[in-house]
Amino acid sequence: MRKTSKFITVLIYALLLAACAGTQSRHTDPVNDPWEGFNRKAFAFNDTMDRKVLRPVAVGYDKAMPEPLQRGVGNFFRNLDAPVTFINLLLQGEFEKSADTFGRFLLNSTIGLLGFFDLATKAGVPYHDEDLGQTLAAWGYKDSRYLVLPVFGPSTPRDGVGRYADSFINPVGLQIHIQEHWGYWLVRGIDFRAQFLSRDGELGDAYDPYVLMRDVWMQNRAFQIYDGDPPAADYDLFLEDAFLNHRYLEVDKKPDPEQ
Amino acid sequence: MIARTLRNTAKTLLLACFVLSCGNAMAVPDGNDPVSLVVNGMTGLFKEVDDNLAKYESDPAALQALVMKDLVPMLDTNYSARLILGRAGRDIPPEKVQAFSDAMVNMLVSRYSYGLLQLHSTELVKVLPQKGPLNDKLTRVRSRVVLPDGGEAPIDYAFHMTADGWKAFDLIVEGISYVTTFRNQIVPEVQANGIDSVIERLTTGELQLAE
Repeated sequence: MRKTSKFITVLIYALLLAACAGTQSRHTDPVNDPWEGFNRKAFAFNDTMDRKVLRPVAVGYDKAMPEPLQRGVGNFFRNLDAPVTFINLLLQGEFEKSADTFGRFLLNSTIGLLGFFDLATKAGVPYHDEDLGQTLAAWGYKDSRYLVLPVFGPSTPRDGVGRYADSFINPVGLQIHIQEHWGYWLVRGIDFRAQFLSRDGELGDAYDPYVLMRDVWMQNRAFQIYDGDPPAADYDLFLEDAFLNHRYLEVDKKPDPEQ
Repeated sequence: MIARTLRNTAKTLLLACFVLSCGNAMAVPDGNDPVSLVVNGMTGLFKEVDDNLAKYESDPAALQALVMKDLVPMLDTNYSARLILGRAGRDIPPEKVQAFSDAMVNMLVSRYSYGLLQLHSTELVKVLPQKGPLNDKLTRVRSRVVLPDGGEAPIDYAFHMTADGWKAFDLIVEGISYVTTFRNQIVPEVQANGIDSVIERLTTGELQLAE
């Protein structure tokens, strides 16, 4: 009961934020990162944790688990997100896609043995990926500033709130909130990390790994929000000028819903 | 043997996909529109690699030469370089911009060639039909690479019209633009260390385009 009221509080907070954000647009900013100072510290902390703990564990997991088994575990976790996607598609008024997602969950959870086998994809039922952060964006909260969460990594205030609320919809996540079993998120985190091991070199070689991570995450997030069709980069602005982002933000300060 | 047959079947399907895509791109019949350029460029390249797979697996230089011949003419690499360098490029003499552009292309070609060999027989490329009217300044061609687990990796090409026809100047993988991403890495580095150091790092393969 207490948990339910907590969820409602979060939801109301999220709705309020969305309402505030709807009044204006910050599309002219190349990258919305006014908290860069804090973010860099959080990034450095996460990076250290990753190198000392998470990455070695993920490498071990990757070596120990044969490829088909790893794919099964990935499918299992993805299947558990289907209720989150389903509800968020309903909230966005995407009824056909929510029906797809319902069908996928039903098929994969039963014949697909608790989601280890993604039969729905093989059967041609399209996969959709939605969460509360994307729903809030669809409702008008398009631009939220970049925020690196300690431990959880790249996010925004919008997506951080969304992620927290979503964790109550995930069937296993809900049980965890009730019974406080954190092992699930731990295994999930390791599995998630293992998928990106092959990309470590690119990040390590980057001139500014913080900026690379931010740019990749923010662009990919916009891609998800716009369901694969985000507005194109402002190439004309690129030609005219190559301000570093923080300088650009200084000359173009605007009132901000998150201040 | 069976693997080989499967592979050939998959490639036939792949070609069928391209033919279908061609059919969808009938809006501009001359075949020089962005969608046709992507479809034709890829079809020739995939067929050539498939027919001589053993050769290209053992000879990366030959594969890179092939990619250079088939794909690079489709690109406006100098424009990409100018977009990436932006203001940092203003004080740089044109020949240095060209050198930067060449180094970038070489690096891209070597990465692309490597990726081409990793494509397994179950993977297919679909080029989606043109969405909306053609825009001389920016027309996006959308394609999907079908992955072994059934998922799709979306890859878009940004084209613009030049004196030599349509040329691509950006590659967007899962929403992540090479030009945007690379630019935010390159500009501070050029400002800190100068263009020569950046060209040098690109040429030695130390600096790679991240995606």
